[in-house]
Amino acid sequence: MQRLCSPAFIGLAALAGVLIVLPLVVTSHFAIDICIRILLFAFIGVAWNLMGGYAKQLSLGHAAYFGLGAYTSTIMQIKFGISPWIGMLAGGVVAMLASLPIGAVCFRLRGPYFAIATIATAQVLMLLFLKFRDFAWGAEGTTIPNLGNTPLMMQFEAKAPYYYIALAMLALGLAITYRIERSWMGFYLVAIGEDEDAAEAVGVNAPQVKRNIYMISAFLTALAGTFYVQYIYFIDPNTAFNFNISVEAALVSIVGGIGTLWGPVIGTVLLEVTSALLQSWLGSGLGGVQLTVYSLILISVILWRPTGLLGVFTDAYKWIVRAPPAREAAIDG
Amino acid sequence: MLETVVQAVINGLLIGGIYALVSIGVTLIFGVVKIVNFAQGEFVMIGMYISYFLATYFGIDPLLSLAISMPVLFVIGVGLQHFLIRRVLGLGDMPQIFLTFALSLLLMNVALLLFTANYRTLHTSYSDLALHFAGLYVPVAKLVAFILAMVLSGILRVFLHSTDMGKAMRAAAQKPEVAMLMGINPDRVFCVATGVSLALAGAAGSLLMPFYPASPTAGQVFVLMAFVAVVLGTLGNIKGALIASLMMGIAESLGIQFVGADSGLIVVFAMLLLTLAFRPNGVAGGSAR
Amino acid sequence: MAEALVVRNLSKRFGGLRAVQNLSFSINEGETVALIGPNGAGKTTSFHLITGFHRPDEGSVTAFGREIVGLRPHDICAHGLARTFQVARPFGGMTVLANVMTGAFLRDKRPEVACAKAYEAIEFVGLSAKAHTPARDLTTIDQRRLEMARALATEPRLLLLDEVMAGLNPSEIDQAVALVGKLSKRGLTIIIVEHVMRAIMAVARHIVVLDHGQKIAEGGPKEIVKNQEVVRAYLGSGYVHVATAGET
Ligand SMILES: Nc1ncnc2c1ncn2[C@@H]1O[C@H](COP(=O)(O)OP(=O)(O)O)[C@@H](O)[C@H]1O
Ligand SMILES: [Mg+2]
Repeated sequence: MQRLCSPAFIGLAALAGVLIVLPLVVTSHFAIDICIRILLFAFIGVAWNLMGGYAKQLSLGHAAYFGLGAYTSTIMQIKFGISPWIGMLAGGVVAMLASLPIGAVCFRLRGPYFAIATIATAQVLMLLFLKFRDFAWGAEGTTIPNLGNTPLMMQFEAKAPYYYIALAMLALGLAITYRIERSWMGFYLVAIGEDEDAAEAVGVNAPQVKRNIYMISAFLTALAGTFYVQYIYFIDPNTAFNFNISVEAALVSIVGGIGTLWGPVIGTVLLEVTSALLQSWLGSGLGGVQLTVYSLILISVILWRPTGLLGVFTDAYKWIVRAPPAREAAIDG
Repeated sequence: MLETVVQAVINGLLIGGIYALVSIGVTLIFGVVKIVNFAQGEFVMIGMYISYFLATYFGIDPLLSLAISMPVLFVIGVGLQHFLIRRVLGLGDMPQIFLTFALSLLLMNVALLLFTANYRTLHTSYSDLALHFAGLYVPVAKLVAFILAMVLSGILRVFLHSTDMGKAMRAAAQKPEVAMLMGINPDRVFCVATGVSLALAGAAGSLLMPFYPASPTAGQVFVLMAFVAVVLGTLGNIKGALIASLMMGIAESLGIQFVGADSGLIVVFAMLLLTLAFRPNGVAGGSAR
Repeated sequence: MAEALVVRNLSKRFGGLRAVQNLSFSINEGETVALIGPNGAGKTTSFHLITGFHRPDEGSVTAFGREIVGLRPHDICAHGLARTFQVARPFGGMTVLANVMTGAFLRDKRPEVACAKAYEAIEFVGLSAKAHTPARDLTTIDQRRLEMARALATEPRLLLLDEVMAGLNPSEIDQAVALVGKLSKRGLTIIIVEHVMRAIMAVARHIVVLDHGQKIAEGGPKEIVKNQEVVRAYLGSGYVHVATAGET
């Protein structure tokens, strides 16, 4: 009961309420499209953050799983007529399985070389899909047949349903993160991120923990891939395995607050809103503006606030509430 | 058949010389400053644009503008080290990786804004020249680039072995404490290392210009190749990076010849992943320190 | 009494350097043994070999009746061997409590249980006042305490302590000695690497002396102090005389 009255709970409930009624109020396609992008990329960020943020395994190849999810569901849909809802889960499983050999290779490396190896895996997959002309349409890609309003095939005429799917995915990702953060797994992940050898010394099976979190992260990222191609009705290797997806997954977490529950969400809101504003001021003609601004934000965050901007908000909150500094008790929450 | 193979090997070897310049730069910064410079490819790109504009507006041959691109990039490197990299040293992997990574994104996109995505090619008097012998074909521009790349690598080697600064760099690469004891200001050593590394990238850019189009993303292939070469050739090891780069050039070229025009990178990445898979203890760091 | 640890013919080379050569010794359950020797003698390397951080070139290590060479460090920890590092390696971004809980999760995955156990271990090493301090803000000495608590939270049967008393002042050394004594009373088997002779005399009934990777002597404290070869090993390497090392 006490918990239901806590400011955190009330805040969360209010936020959920706002997010649920939002599509009823906002009717502009442009605005709702931005909301969907924010939810989607926040979700991808959350998936990345589980491994990259908590365990500090700084992957720059999550596009691999995004693409595998996208292709699995699309191939199942177009070649076999299977609903993308099922394809979505299948894509998740494919990504999970793919993460095993990829992890086996990449986890031999630490730090920057891990990041480089993950870039290589995503690139290899993209190059392979460029070659698979027979069952994956090669470089030309394919449009996804528009069946009109068929919820069972994850196709809708209005934008609101897409919005709710993305919202549900993000809620799922946050719930998983919340659970993991508070369990032994969360402690093990952070310990590995801090010092893998020291973690091993206190009984943490680091390879196994990393493998498991990589599977979860890959699974979730793949869901986003399926959703994205269903939303834009098009797939090609360059969209599905785009390096920018890998980058944005990591970027939003770092800007918001790496290894925190809400960091990726804050980061995505900030970056996507910035990019939307830039677009409406400058038009979409000027390629490069968005990433220029992103990279400037990233550099500033790294130099001045490497723990991410979430901290700025929590500090401000503490300052306003004038609460005594929260005791960082590990499991009080 | 044999001729085709030899031709592919020659092509690969020649471009491998350029990869070597980039790889040596990456491995030099890694060895001395312990930073992986994700932006190295963008400095190659800057080198290309410097030579391109000097050639277009002042008619300076790209091989001569080497004498301008290298010092300019050296200065940029010193500034990069002094104003940016220095601030994230010792802060762990995340800031170190993402600082240079963000820089890479920044430079690429600023180049896109300034120069647009258009490919810019430079036509020099020797762009179309080639040596023919025994049915083989060796483009002069690539041959000259290769030779100059090897000369620069040689000069770097002499610098590292016979100057105080070079010795300090090698000491810093092996045992940072020792370098400190030699009474050499580590900041200066780091600045020079980064400067030299970027100068090599700039040289690669200038040498490429007679036969390779400049574009904002032109550097990416080279940095990817360099990373693979540096991992294969053992981190921080200049000779290893050089040999691995030449091998990668050859592997890529054979891939293009025998698997398909767009398969060069697949072959190279496959090489990386296979090596990683079969090297028992990984390459970058064992289990205990 | 049953043997807790049997080390037989353990060897490790680093390139041309023989860091540990043909090392053999054994420890009974409940015993406290000191491993001493000048810097570079191979003490830390021996710990790495026993706890699975390095793979020995030759030799075997049997702990509580099981061969453990080839096991991964976490398996060895699960088998009941916990260690500290010579230079403490706390999880800097985590609080003291979270650090120690990480160790406690080895035996019980429930957060409440791990938390209770962690508090107990933190109290035991005298760090209660700093339970919620981030580990990176601790002094070096407190970081070593933390590492001990973290190791204890894994409920080990054999504890390997690598120079936990280096840099302590005399009264802190007394505290640390008392702590080790308390652990020993609980029935824990302990191997301790230490330079502080006074502390070694106080805690260890048995001493193994290493020099250049080889065991040069073994026996009770009294014998060891008188042993000519031991004295020579310390003097020969320009090290402080064993008998006076405690006062530095
Ligand atoms: N990872 C390593 N690589 C190479 N040499 C090492 C390594 N670890 C230790 N050594 C060397 O092995 C010898 C023994 O070191 P160590 O076990 O740390 O000694 P001690 O703990 O007794 O002071 C030293 O000469 C040291 O330099
Ligand atoms: Mg030692």
